[in-house]
Amino acid sequence: MQLPTGTHFDSYTADHAWWQTKFVWFRMLLLLFVLLWVIPTFVGDYWLSFLNMVGYTILAAAGVQLLIGYTGLITLGHAAPIGFGAFACALSMYLLDVPYLLAFVIGMVAAGLLSVLFGLPCARVKGFYLIMTTMAMQFITVDIILTQFLGPLAGKGRGGVLAIEPEMFNIGPWIIYSVKDAYIWMIILCVIVMVFMANLMRTRVGRAWMAIRDNDIAAEALGVNIFYFKLLAFFVAGALGGLAGCYWLTNLTIVSPEHFTFGWSLWLVGVILIGGVGSMYGHIYGALFLTGVLELVKFALIPLAGIFPEAMEKFLYIKDLVFGLAIILFLIFEPKGISYRWWQIKNYIHLWPFSY
Amino acid sequence: MALEWKREELRVEKEIGEPILVVEDVMKAFGGVQALNGVSFEVRKGEILSLIGPNGAGKSVVLNCINGLPGYRPDSGRIIFEGRDITKWPPHKRAQVGISRTFQKIELFGGMTVLDNAKLGRHIKMKTGWWDGGIYWLKASKEEAKHRKWIEEKVFETCEIEIYRHRTAGMLPYGVQKRIELARALAMGPTFLLLDEPMAGLNLEEVEDMTRFILDANEEKEWQCTILLVEHDMGVVMDISDRVVVFDWGEKIADGVPEEVQNNPRVIRAYLGEVEETYITRR
Repeated sequence: MQLPTGTHFDSYTADHAWWQTKFVWFRMLLLLFVLLWVIPTFVGDYWLSFLNMVGYTILAAAGVQLLIGYTGLITLGHAAPIGFGAFACALSMYLLDVPYLLAFVIGMVAAGLLSVLFGLPCARVKGFYLIMTTMAMQFITVDIILTQFLGPLAGKGRGGVLAIEPEMFNIGPWIIYSVKDAYIWMIILCVIVMVFMANLMRTRVGRAWMAIRDNDIAAEALGVNIFYFKLLAFFVAGALGGLAGCYWLTNLTIVSPEHFTFGWSLWLVGVILIGGVGSMYGHIYGALFLTGVLELVKFALIPLAGIFPEAMEKFLYIKDLVFGLAIILFLIFEPKGISYRWWQIKNYIHLWPFSY
Repeated sequence: MALEWKREELRVEKEIGEPILVVEDVMKAFGGVQALNGVSFEVRKGEILSLIGPNGAGKSVVLNCINGLPGYRPDSGRIIFEGRDITKWPPHKRAQVGISRTFQKIELFGGMTVLDNAKLGRHIKMKTGWWDGGIYWLKASKEEAKHRKWIEEKVFETCEIEIYRHRTAGMLPYGVQKRIELARALAMGPTFLLLDEPMAGLNLEEVEDMTRFILDANEEKEWQCTILLVEHDMGVVMDISDRVVVFDWGEKIADGVPEEVQNNPRVIRAYLGEVEETYITRR
C-alpha cells in the first residue's frame, strides 16, 4: 500500500476505502467523464462497436475471473451461462412480452441457477474432474438445450436463431437502439459489475472465496462452509455471465447458439490469463489487449489483401493463431499477466528516482 | 537456561473446571497402519494440555480428528465437546461451537493480506451475505469496521503483528507467519484452541514470544481459551502445561502434571529411548 507522505487515517473505514486521496478521486471521476461523455461524443461508430465488443468481453470474463481467479474453480464452460442467460432474456421478451429490464433479471437468475446445477459436483470433485463438469455444462447447454429446445421455441428462423426488434430494448423511456446507446449501457453495466465484484472481494463472502482458493482445508477448519461458498461462487459467476448475455442481446438484437461456442469459453479463460488471474483489473486489461490485438491484425492484413488474398479468406484461422500465440508468449514472458506488470510499473514510478 | 522464569512465578490464578472435551476410545487406521489405538483423554476447561510423544505417535492425528479434517473421521470411539457428540460433524460446524486451530505446516492464505487472514478467521462471527457485500455501503461497511476494530485491538495487540497488517501473508518471514496463524485462530474468539507444533522451526527468541502469546491466550480475560498443544519443545511443554498426555504408537502411555510425566519411567523409556533422563530438560 503506497500513499503520499503525510497521508494518514483516523478511522478504520477510511483505511478500508478504495480511493484514499483526493488525487485518486479526481482521476477516477475524470475517467468516468471520459468514458461517459468524451468517447461517445467524439468517437465514431466503428470504434464504438469495437469498444462494445471489449465491454462484452469484460462482462463475460468477470464471471470467469470470479471462478478461476478468486475461488480457484477452473471453468471451461462459461459460455453456457452467458448463452443461457441471453436465451432466457430473449425468450421471455419474445414469448411473454416481458419488459427488457425484467427479462434482464430473469436471464441473470436463470443463468445463475444453471451454473449452480452444473456446479453441484464440486461437493465431491476437485481439479480436473470439475473442469470436465464445466465442459459438460458447455456442451449440454449450448449444443443440446439451446440449439434443440430453447431456440426452436420461438417458432421461426433456422438453427435456433432468435431476432428481437430493437425497439423492445427499452429502459423506461430510453430505447437502446444505436451503437452509442449500447455503448452507454455497456459502460453502466461494467461500472456496476466492477463495483459489485470489488465490494464482494473486500467483505466476508469474497474473503471466504479467496480462502478456498488459497487453502481449502484451513478455510474449512476456520468455519467456512466450503460447499455453500463454492455453489455461491457458481451462482454469482453464472449470474454475471447471464448479465453479459443480456447485454449482448441489446448490442446485436439477434441471438444464436453459435455465439456461445466452446471457443468463446476458452477465449474468456485466455482473457483472464493474459490480463492477470485474481486481479480486479485483470479481465479489463485482458479484454482490451485481446480484442485490440485482433483489430490490429485486421488492419495489418487489409493492405496485404492485394498481395495475399488468402490472408483475408483465412482470417478466422489467423485469429485463432494470434490468440494461441498471445497466450503462449504471455505464459513464457509475463505469467502473472498485464495487471502485475502494470503494478510493477506503478511501484517503480512511486519510488523513482531512489528505488532503495 | 533459555527460559529463565518458571511457570509458578508468573502464575495467574485460574480455575481448572469441568472437562470441556472428552476423547473416548478413538481408533483410526490408515490402510494397514493403526494410527490411533483406543485413545482416551479429557481436556478440562481453562487448562493447557500438552500432547507429546515421539514422531509418528499419533499426536497430529488426534488433533485432526478433533478438528474433523477430511479423511480423519475416527473408525470408532467418540469425541464429545461441551456435552455434544461432535464425532461426525463437518469441520466448519465445529468452528461454530468455538474450536479453532493452527497447523503444523503453515497453512495461511498466502495471497491475502494479514488483515484479511485475520478477518477470515472471524468469518463465523460475521453475517454479510453476497448481496449486502456487493452493495457494501448499506450494512457491510459498518460490520467490516466493527470487526476490524476488534481484530486490531484484541488480536493484533495480543500477537504483536500490527505493522504487518497490509502485507501479503505469503511473503512474510516464517516466524511472523507462525504468529499470523495464531492470530487467525484467535480471531474467531474461540473457547478451545488446538495448536499443532506452534514452535516448530522458530528460533529461541521467537519461541519465547510464542510462549508468551499462548499464555496470554490461555490466561487473559478476553481470551481464556482452553488449549490443546502438540509440541516437541520439551522446555516449553514442561514450563507452560497444566497437564501432559504422552502418546506412543497410537496409545496413551501417561497422563499427569509435568513433573509426574517427567519422572514416569515408561515415558522415559518410550519417548527418549535409552538416553539419560537429563535430556528431557530443554536442549
